[in-house]
Amino acid sequence: MPQLLTPEAALFGETHQQTMSALSALPFALAKTIAVPIQQPTITTKSDPKIERIHLIKDKDPKHDVSMDIKEFSKREAAVYRNSHKQNICIEMLQEGFHKSFREFFTLIDKWNALREAGGPGSDIWLLKPLDEQYDKLDQLQQFLTLAEAAQRAGRHEDAYKNYLALANYFKNSGNDWLADHFFQRCFDTAKFIKLDGGKREAEAYANLGLVKERHGQLATALEHYEVFYNLTLGRIWTDGKGHTQHSVACENLWRIYTLLADKMLENKEHQGAIKILIKAFEMAKEGGDNRLKGESAYRLGLAYLSIGKTDAAITFLKTYMAISKILGDNVGIGKANEALSKALESQGKILDSIQYLEKFIEIAKNNNVNQSLVESCICLGDIFNTRGRYEEAYKHFKKAYETACNLPNLPLLEETQVYYGIGQAHKMMMEYCNHTEVVDFINTKFLLEWKENRTDK
Amino acid sequence: MEVYPLAQPKWLKLRCELCGNTAYLKCPDCKVTYYCDIDHMQSDLISIHGKICPLLSSLRTPFPFFLTDTQRQQYAEQMMQRKKHLVDITYQEAQKFLCEGNHRTALPAALHSLRFSIEIYGFKSVELVPAYLALAEANIGLGDLAQAQEYLAQAQWTVLKSSDCGSNIHHKLHRNLGRLYAAEGNLQESLYHFANDVYYASEAFGTDDIRVTGGYFQMANVFFCLNKRDIADSLYIEVTNIWNDHLCKLAKMQLQPAKDTCQLHTVTEETVKEAFDVAQKNEGCQILNAILNFREQAIKQDPIKMMKVLDTLTLFHFVCTDFKKAREFGKRILRLNKQFPDQELPEILPSLLEWIELKLLASK
Repeated sequence: MPQLLTPEAALFGETHQQTMSALSALPFALAKTIAVPIQQPTITTKSDPKIERIHLIKDKDPKHDVSMDIKEFSKREAAVYRNSHKQNICIEMLQEGFHKSFREFFTLIDKWNALREAGGPGSDIWLLKPLDEQYDKLDQLQQFLTLAEAAQRAGRHEDAYKNYLALANYFKNSGNDWLADHFFQRCFDTAKFIKLDGGKREAEAYANLGLVKERHGQLATALEHYEVFYNLTLGRIWTDGKGHTQHSVACENLWRIYTLLADKMLENKEHQGAIKILIKAFEMAKEGGDNRLKGESAYRLGLAYLSIGKTDAAITFLKTYMAISKILGDNVGIGKANEALSKALESQGKILDSIQYLEKFIEIAKNNNVNQSLVESCICLGDIFNTRGRYEEAYKHFKKAYETACNLPNLPLLEETQVYYGIGQAHKMMMEYCNHTEVVDFINTKFLLEWKENRTDK
Repeated sequence: MEVYPLAQPKWLKLRCELCGNTAYLKCPDCKVTYYCDIDHMQSDLISIHGKICPLLSSLRTPFPFFLTDTQRQQYAEQMMQRKKHLVDITYQEAQKFLCEGNHRTALPAALHSLRFSIEIYGFKSVELVPAYLALAEANIGLGDLAQAQEYLAQAQWTVLKSSDCGSNIHHKLHRNLGRLYAAEGNLQESLYHFANDVYYASEAFGTDDIRVTGGYFQMANVFFCLNKRDIADSLYIEVTNIWNDHLCKLAKMQLQPAKDTCQLHTVTEETVKEAFDVAQKNEGCQILNAILNFREQAIKQDPIKMMKVLDTLTLFHFVCTDFKKAREFGKRILRLNKQFPDQELPEILPSLLEWIELKLLASK
C-alpha cells in the first residue's frame, strides 16, 4: 500500500512545486474517493499539543463569555446587507414557495425597465425612479402578491381577488397606471374563479377593466366590458362602498361611454348613428335614476335632432330637459334649454313662441344672477329681433348683453357682444338713414353729410 | 512502464498524478505522467488522460533553448494557449461525465481542469469556480459531502471576493450549495440556496428559460420532503409549463418546413444542439420523468396535469429525435383522452403523431 503524503503534495505533482504551499485549503481526501482504500493521515489535529493549549487558554479567558453574548452575523444576514432589496425580496418569496409571486414581481420590474428603455430619456417613466429603488412599492408588491398566492393555493379566490384589487388601487393612487392596469387584469382573471357570490366580483372586475380600457381610449372594448357588467348587475341589489347600487353605477358607466361614443360620431358627422346611441344613453340614464344624467342626455339628443332638422323630436327632448333642470334648480340648464328651444322654434318659424321662451329665461336669469346665460340669451333674442327687422328691440337686447358682459371676466364673450352691439346700433341708425335718403332733398342730404362729419348720435 | 524512485536524482521526486504518492509507474505514451499504482493509472486513463496524453509531453518537458527573446516569448505564449485548451477539454469532459451521472470518472477530469486553471490564472481567480463546482458536484454524487463542502466553500469565497462575476456563476454555485445541504438534510438552508439559484438564473436567462427549471424542481423536491405538497405541486406545474412552452416552440419550428415542402425534413442532431445542450437534455429528461412519476403515484390522479406532463415528454422525445418514445407517450395521451373525453387534446399532438409515424416508416 502506498504511503499518503501531505495533502498539498497529493494534489500536485513534483513539477509544480511553486504552487504547492498556497493550496492548503484544497481538499485532500480526494484520493480516497478515486480508488482503493487508503489509510487515514497519521497526524490529526487532536494530538497537536499547541492547538490544545490555545483552546484551554481561550476557555479561561473571562472575555470569552462576553464575546458569546455579542450577536454575530450569520452568512445569511451578511448576504441580506450585501444584496439588493429586490434580490432579498425575491429570495424571501421563493424560500416560502411563492414562485408565482416571484415570477410576477420579476417580470414587472423587467417590464418597467423595458418601458423605460423604450421611452428613452425625457419620457415620463425616465424621470421616475426605477422600480427596484422604490422600496415601499416593492414591499407592497411582496406583501399582497404573497397573500394572494397563498389564498389562491388554498382555493380562497375571493381573498386573492381582494389582494390584487388592493394592489391595483395602490398603484392607481400612486399614479403608476400601467401597473394598476396589470393588476385590474389580474383581478379580472381571478374573479372568474369566484362562483359563490353570484358574480359580484366578476361584475366589479368587468367594471374596472372597462375603466382601464376607457382610459386607453379603446371605447369599443370598454363598452363590451360595461355591457357585461350591466347584465351581471341586472336585478341585483349589490352596493359599492359608497352606498350606490352597482346597477346604477353600471348605468352611469354605460351612459358615459355611450355619450363619448356619440360625441365621436357627431364629430364625424354620423348623426343617425349618434342619435341611436344617444337614445341608448338616455335609456340608461332613466334606468339609473339619475336626473342629472337624464337631463344631460335629453339635451344632447335635442341638439342632435336639431342638427338633422327633426325639430319636433328636438323640442320634446328639450322640454324634458327643461323640466328636469327646473326640478334640479339648475339655472344654467334652464338657460341652455331655453336657448336651444328658441332656436328650434325659430327654425320652425314660430318666432313668437321663441321670443316668449327667451324672455322668460331672461327674467329667470336676472333674478338668479346667472350672467353668462343672461348674456347668451340676450344675444339670442337680439339676434331674432334683428333678423325680423325689429331693430329697436334688437338694439336694446344687444346693449343689455354688452353691459352684462362688461362685468364678466370673459374677454371673447365681451368682444362678441361688442360686435353684436355695433351691429344693433348700425341697424337702428339704418331706419333714420333710409328716411333721409328716400326724401331726396337738399336739407336732408346736408343733414346726413353733417352727421357723417362729426358722427354723433342724435 | 515502471519507474524506480531510488533510481531518480535526489531532488526529483515522482508523484502520482491523482493522489500525489510516490510513483512507481509511468504512462508509456507521453512518458511524463506518473502513477502510484495500476488502479490510479486506469482511472485516469478512462477519465481524461486518454484524451490529453499527447498534449502533455511538451508542457511537462523543460523549457527548450532558444536563441532570441522573441522565440522564447513565442514559445511561452504557445504553451499558455495549450494550457487554456487543456482547461477547456478537461472541463468539458468532466461535464460530460457528470451529465451521464458518472461521478467517479468525472473526478480526475475535473481535478485536471482545476489544476490547469490554477496554473494559468492563479488561486484567486473566478475562472477556477467552474472547476470547483464540477468537483463539488462529483463529490455530492459520490456522497462525499465533507469534501464537496470544502470545494464549495472555496468557490463561494472566490465568488464573494470578486465583485464582477456573472449571474450564471452565482446560479451554478447556489445550485450546488443547495444540493449539498439537501443531501445533508438541512432543508431550510438548501431552500435558501435554491431560491438564490432561481433568482440568479432568472437574472441571467429570464424567468421563462428552461435553465431556471432545475432550481424550481429541486425546490419542489425539498418542499415535498417538508410535506408541503401544495407548494411542490404548483412548482411541478410551473416546471412542466416552462418546458412545455419551450418544446412546443421547437417542435413547431421543426414541423413548419415539413408542411411547406411536403417532404420528409431530416431532423438532425444539430437542431437539438441548438435547442439545448447535453447537460440540459439530461437534466430535462430527469426532471420530466420524475414529475411523471410523482403524478402517477398521486392518490387522486388529475387528468389535466397528467396530460400536460405526457405532452411535454412527447415533445421532449420528439425534439431529441427519439421517435419511438415520443410515439409511446403520444399514445398514452390518446388513451387518457379516451378515459376523460371532456379534456382537450393539445393542439399540436395530431400533426406531431402523424409526422412521427411517417418518420418511423421511413426508417424501417
